[in-house]
Amino acid sequence: MAAIAARLVPTKFARRPRRPIGTGALAWGLLAPALVILLAMTIAPTMYLVGASFQHVNLLGTGSTFVGFRNYLEVLSDPSIGWSAAATLLFVALAVGIELLLGLALALLLSRKMREINLLTALFVVPLGVAPVVSALVFRVLLNPAYGWLDWYLQSWGLMGNPVDWLSQPVTAWIALIGLDVWQWTPFVALILLAGLQGIPSEPKEAAVVDGASPIALFWYVTLPLLRPFIAIALVLRAIEAFKTFGSVWILTAGGPGTSTELITLDLYRVALQDFNVGAAAALGICFLLCLSVVMTELLNVLGRNTDILED
Amino acid sequence: MKRITAILLRVAVWMVLLGVLFPILWMVLTSIKPTDVSQALPPVWDFTPTLANYVNVLTGHTYTSQAFSILLLHSAVVTAACTLLALTVGVPAAYALARLRFRAKRATAMWILSTIMFPPAVSVIPVFIFAGRLHLMDTYPVLIIPYAAFALPMVIWMLRSYIKQIPIEIEEAAMVDGASRLALIRRVVVPLLMPGIVAAALLSAILSWNEFLFALALTRSNVETAPVGINEFTSMYGTQWGELTAAATVTVAPILAMTMILRRRLVAGLTFGAVK
Amino acid sequence: MTRKTTGRPQLTRRQALISAVGTAATATILPDGARAATSAIPAKPARLNMLYATVEADSDAIKLALPDFQREFGIALHLDTMPYDSLQQKAFAELASQSSYYDIILVDTPWMPALTRKIQPITDMLLDSSLTNATTLDIQDFIPKVFFDTCVYKTDASYLHWPGAETIDPRAIKQAGFEIYGLPIQANALTVAYRHDLFSQPAEQQAYKAKIGKPLSPPGTWDEFAVTASFFTRPSKRLWGTTLMAGAGDWATDDFKTLLACFGGDGHMVNDKFETVFNSPQGVSALSFYVELIRKLKVVPPGTTAASWDTAATEFGTGLTAMSMNYHTETLSGNVHGSIGYAMVPKKVQHGPHFGTWMLSVNSYSTNKQWAMQAVQWFTGKDAQAKMLTTQLHPTRRSAYAIATQDQTLAGKFGNFYDVLGKSLEVGVGRPRLTNYADVDRAIWVAVNDAARGAAEPAPALHRAAGEVARLLKQAGYTH
Repeated sequence: MAAIAARLVPTKFARRPRRPIGTGALAWGLLAPALVILLAMTIAPTMYLVGASFQHVNLLGTGSTFVGFRNYLEVLSDPSIGWSAAATLLFVALAVGIELLLGLALALLLSRKMREINLLTALFVVPLGVAPVVSALVFRVLLNPAYGWLDWYLQSWGLMGNPVDWLSQPVTAWIALIGLDVWQWTPFVALILLAGLQGIPSEPKEAAVVDGASPIALFWYVTLPLLRPFIAIALVLRAIEAFKTFGSVWILTAGGPGTSTELITLDLYRVALQDFNVGAAAALGICFLLCLSVVMTELLNVLGRNTDILED
Repeated sequence: MKRITAILLRVAVWMVLLGVLFPILWMVLTSIKPTDVSQALPPVWDFTPTLANYVNVLTGHTYTSQAFSILLLHSAVVTAACTLLALTVGVPAAYALARLRFRAKRATAMWILSTIMFPPAVSVIPVFIFAGRLHLMDTYPVLIIPYAAFALPMVIWMLRSYIKQIPIEIEEAAMVDGASRLALIRRVVVPLLMPGIVAAALLSAILSWNEFLFALALTRSNVETAPVGINEFTSMYGTQWGELTAAATVTVAPILAMTMILRRRLVAGLTFGAVK
Repeated sequence: MTRKTTGRPQLTRRQALISAVGTAATATILPDGARAATSAIPAKPARLNMLYATVEADSDAIKLALPDFQREFGIALHLDTMPYDSLQQKAFAELASQSSYYDIILVDTPWMPALTRKIQPITDMLLDSSLTNATTLDIQDFIPKVFFDTCVYKTDASYLHWPGAETIDPRAIKQAGFEIYGLPIQANALTVAYRHDLFSQPAEQQAYKAKIGKPLSPPGTWDEFAVTASFFTRPSKRLWGTTLMAGAGDWATDDFKTLLACFGGDGHMVNDKFETVFNSPQGVSALSFYVELIRKLKVVPPGTTAASWDTAATEFGTGLTAMSMNYHTETLSGNVHGSIGYAMVPKKVQHGPHFGTWMLSVNSYSTNKQWAMQAVQWFTGKDAQAKMLTTQLHPTRRSAYAIATQDQTLAGKFGNFYDVLGKSLEVGVGRPRLTNYADVDRAIWVAVNDAARGAAEPAPALHRAAGEVARLLKQAGYTH
């Protein structure tokens, strides 16, 4: 009876769904398994690390000794850690910045009406599907000045005098590193922005054209504002992933030359799993987490301000 | 004039594309070259393509400690299990966040999303130690559970967006008909959620298959995955270039195919609900 | 010595007598526990587990020998191989958790200082003739420097090197308070490979004679090396004199310590008194010479300051250099039609090539120590090593080198490599024995790499590294 009645009532006046009592319990029940896994991989490790950061942990068995703040002092007073932190920030800023710009350009390109646009898009997306470890390895080989193809062809075409030893000097190593990241992830940004571009209704644009707007003005005043949510998503997602980068840097430069491309994630790996200095690594990890939580809060704000994603 | 610019633009685009694809083309090309001319400069173009490198890689006649085909198997098992786990716990969680109202909901949602920020380089340390103590080193669970944790924030985010796209009337109708929530999820929501599930599964698969740090730190030989194995083609004796590129091509091929075909779906799930 | 099919070695009357006397003698000297270990051989296990490396230690050689081992001992040997980093982590993890799973573990020399309490000393077992087979073992047959550098440590002072390098006498070792921790199986030393075809070309020989005034031959001294490398450096023809491994890694430290030793310094870099002897006039000369080769004479291909072992191997293999220095035989690409000859690393005032050796050891937590020891003895034995030459093992016995040098098939494949390797091992220099050698290593390679890239001058770079090493030694508790 109630079912028939419900269907007879026009949707506009349909009653809001009544929440059954105990939704809270149901919700937590549904969330529990996911929360357990996430807690096990975030909060639990953090608690261990906090504890370990105040100790000198000896993995080969003779137990751990309490050392107070010594690990933190060691880590925070080490100038190379300071450099790694700066390098990490620089890397994220440069990589994400360039990817947003090039991604936008690529998205604009791919939103044109061309015959082979589907094929073109599929091909441009290729770098995204390649495992970062593989791309780093391939880049490293191609950049070798003695037997890599890049220098060979640049020299053959007269674009280069002596072969450039890319990975031996900090500046060129940075160029290679940022170049690799840009190569790998620009398609990702482009895909997101493309989805945005394709979702833009044509009325505002047509109206602007009728009003005599030039293509640039059209882009700046109409397209770009409508793209803001998508730019926000691309920015947030890429920034998060960029901070976590490990594999591609490890394979391409291993932090070299010297320690000029050493990111915090590489320091963590080295101190923890090569030097087995767990206490110091824990202290470094906690510091890194604290900084990242500040960054994450900011990024979530960006998302909240520009998109509807966080809305209920 | 406009036509000429259009043509020039097209040519330019294809040239840029060629440049972008060059590393991949090099990789595939080198994999079918006999290994002793791989690194020759000027590049040798006149060679008989051979599948010997692929055969060597898959059967193990290389510097690596095991046949690469075994490593691919490990990767496949880990990826499949992780994706299954992520979806199994992710769908209910996403439903709760999308449909139910409860206290601390927004905080929970934000927290779940924020876990994506937790760097594997940090969580690998305790996991390494506990895996060692519990004798779980180099076993499947020690990779599967962390990988599921890495994928969950995005999986839940995407599924939540997709669920919100499903008209609530359908669920209301089912509830009025007396379905319990769980049955509702299983019988009504999931079938309608298939596109979202596919997208989330693809994302999870890509993350797991390509993951490097945890695999490097936590596997030795029993569960060693393909990305870690790629490194083993370089030993102090030199590098087996043909075999390395063949292994790389085989590692990259499945994910590449999936990404190219399903690229739109991949992004759709991330951008739903974007527009204010 | 004939073997019965039961697998247990037969003893002659003489050996039985010696064994009885030996047991009685050791019983009076050794404490109870050790006595119990040496006087009774427990039941033979059905299986032994061995943890091994891959190509670095020629795992193929072990795999090849497994059927023979099974036949002789009636024990199935289960072999687990893994690459270097994984192997180190696994070995340390197993030993830290006191696992008895692996009976035999392959140990790389730099790991030992931290493991002297976890690896079973086998000196007593070696002295027990009921456990050892004198012919197979023939302990004097091992190259002394290799043996002492790899296997002999003082348990409570693992930083000490065995003084002297003459004959190998387990009794003397024991009396001096040291122990033998295993037997060496694969020995790597730095050797020079050169393009024999280029060196034999009449045109090249004439040009060299005309320009330098001496006949063209593999360089015997470092000065000659610099001259010859310069002679062959023709960048426009994509040919350079030599490879060097100046990239940021362990290989750079090894290049440097070799030169340091050749220039008269102590190739150990840090001596047993924890003095940073690498920061010395000889150290500065050595590093300056290295930097001169790279930056002034430019006899190395571009990319050398990021080069490691495999880069050097690829560069030589693709015909980019006329000489190379590495730790194994080289192969040339199919499109490079040449032949390879080998020579010892040149000297300045003395020879001092870096060497490092793998040793087979018994896990102190194993429940089959005696049988594990016999397996170790067998795999490093005279016959076994001779047979393993077919998989290009770098043996550790003089007899094996004698065989290798005269073997025609090996000579055909690898030229005079084994002759050179054998001679190099006799004069090689190992590493300092520090539990945190990895950190010390890194401090030094950073200095070498910085100097090679021109980011620092040799003297200040070494000085800075010495400061860092001093700090590391303090941190590790060696100094105060």
